[in-house]
Amino acid sequence: MQNFSQLKQEFLKKWLKGLKICSSPSKKMGILERKNAIKLSADLAMAFARKGRTYWSRAVIAKASRNSNNDMTLIKNASKQRFFQSKKIMKRSQNVHRVLLRNKSLSRKVLPNSMAKRLVKKRTQVLKRLVPGGDQCLDEVSLMRETLDYIISLRAQIDVMRCLAGAK
Amino acid sequence: MNRTLPEMLHCLNSVGNLLAGNCTDMTVLDRQRARLKWQQEQLQQEEQQQQQDGYFNGSDQLNGIFFNPAQAGQFPGFQGLVGGVSVIGDTTANRPVKPDPSLENGWSELDRFEMSGIGFGSSATGLANGPGFQMTGAISRTSSSPPTVAPLTPEVKSRESFSPEKTSSAAGRESFKKRKADKVNNTKGVQEDDSREKRAKGSAEEGDSKITEQNSPKNNNTNANNRESSADTSKENSKASEVQKPDYIHVRARRGQATDSHSLAERVRREKISERMKYLQDLVPGCNKITGKAGMLDEIINYVQSLQRQVEFLSMKLAAVNPRLDFNIDDLFAKELLIIVIFLKQITIKQMFPACAGAGGFQTLGMSAEMSNSPYLQFNPAQQVVSCGGLEMGMNSHDMGLRRTISAPVSIPETFLDTSCYTQIQPPTTWDSELQNLYSTEFNQGRSSIPFSSQPFTGSIEASNLKMEM
Repeated sequence: MQNFSQLKQEFLKKWLKGLKICSSPSKKMGILERKNAIKLSADLAMAFARKGRTYWSRAVIAKASRNSNNDMTLIKNASKQRFFQSKKIMKRSQNVHRVLLRNKSLSRKVLPNSMAKRLVKKRTQVLKRLVPGGDQCLDEVSLMRETLDYIISLRAQIDVMRCLAGAK
Repeated sequence: MNRTLPEMLHCLNSVGNLLAGNCTDMTVLDRQRARLKWQQEQLQQEEQQQQQDGYFNGSDQLNGIFFNPAQAGQFPGFQGLVGGVSVIGDTTANRPVKPDPSLENGWSELDRFEMSGIGFGSSATGLANGPGFQMTGAISRTSSSPPTVAPLTPEVKSRESFSPEKTSSAAGRESFKKRKADKVNNTKGVQEDDSREKRAKGSAEEGDSKITEQNSPKNNNTNANNRESSADTSKENSKASEVQKPDYIHVRARRGQATDSHSLAERVRREKISERMKYLQDLVPGCNKITGKAGMLDEIINYVQSLQRQVEFLSMKLAAVNPRLDFNIDDLFAKELLIIVIFLKQITIKQMFPACAGAGGFQTLGMSAEMSNSPYLQFNPAQQVVSCGGLEMGMNSHDMGLRRTISAPVSIPETFLDTSCYTQIQPPTTWDSELQNLYSTEFNQGRSSIPFSSQPFTGSIEASNLKMEM
């Protein structure tokens, strides 16, 4: 718990610093731009608070540095696309599930073991897409570790952001 | 490895441990072979001891050796064996440590090997010195393998009877500890021991044929070890057991499980994954009731997505609320400070008007109108200071915030819970501790690069001091 609050504090410090940097060049911003800047700085702060020890933080930093030259909208598009992709896969996997169930009920040719394996594989793929830097996780153990870490840091981020939003 | 051979541990023979030290880089099959080998050596060692007794006093000393309390402490395994053979019935009562089922299993397993040995030995002692040639002949075959006994055989007998005591005195203590630990883990251990026993029995049949052909290379092996190992074998024993511990914990095979290296590695991997999954289950709400990996992964995916969406939403909200990006650095801390100042001011007011404080205490909901007004009045200088600090804040919002906090003082603790996440203070339980926390909070925030408002600082500190004195 102590660790968690430490993480939050570190994140807050870094985020505020990042916001200062983001805000300094251009004074006038639209709400979407502002939102993107806030989100980007928050993500970066989270990644830096993890000190680049994990895959996902490194991936976030790498993506940000890659996109820093390009437009901000590009990031948005990419994220949107990814999101849709993952959604599609989820849907498809659910469909597969249904189809498999039907098949199973009709004919018992489909082994339940292989079906479960396929389901797990699909979901693992989705998770890999969802967690930044998940593509670099070759095995499931590291993917699980990354997911754990990512969830923890996301929760810290959300806590801090909620505090800020509530203080307004 | 260490615990796969419980009998090894509990007898704690130096030979066994040397072998065990070797075994760290062996395959499973090799380990089994090593165990068989060690058991055979044990057998031969016992033969030798019995033979020594035969040399010493004649045939009826077989009983004497087991009634000797020191040696009874050393070789409980032997005692058990002998008890199993019923050469001596009541020596088991002398046993210093209570036997636990897993040990019994181990000994019963040992019995199978040592039966013949004991029968052999007793016959040898019965015949006294007569078949001594035979015995030595049998021993010379493996005389190089048991390190404690082998170098000692040509030496004087009295020293030999003394030396195992010395070497195993420390080891005996250790084995006692181990046995205790075993008892703790007994519930788990019994099942595993069962399976191990099964395996050992299975391998015993095939092992019998192998032993003869393995004898010569193993002897060389142990010989090399003998040269390497110094006299303090007990030290090495403990070291070896420490080194091997983690090796065992991960690799354990239950009944019917494969023991080749691939499936062992696979099992370790799966265990790791399930461990992580358990953590994730704790982390992700509503994931406790779901069994099955696919469902859990679904839940995790949903949770991560919701978290990401929440981040989006919150950043949107922040962007909407704040017209400028550099909003929250000074603003936030200023607000926090303001709240703290208000809080402390309220305390001071209570001190100033003890009638009100005494009547209601601190946590009373109903604060009188004049109470809520007076801190507001007192608060003005602080606010001016803040606004003088070059901050652009809407006065209206502050007033609103102030009114809110003052009119409903119960809401203050919640705001402090909020602030506590910045300053890593656990949610305080009592009001006094909360005050102290606030005190430190203020300093923390003061340290985090806020150049403004030294005046409210001192004021609030004074207030808290007042509270402390009270």
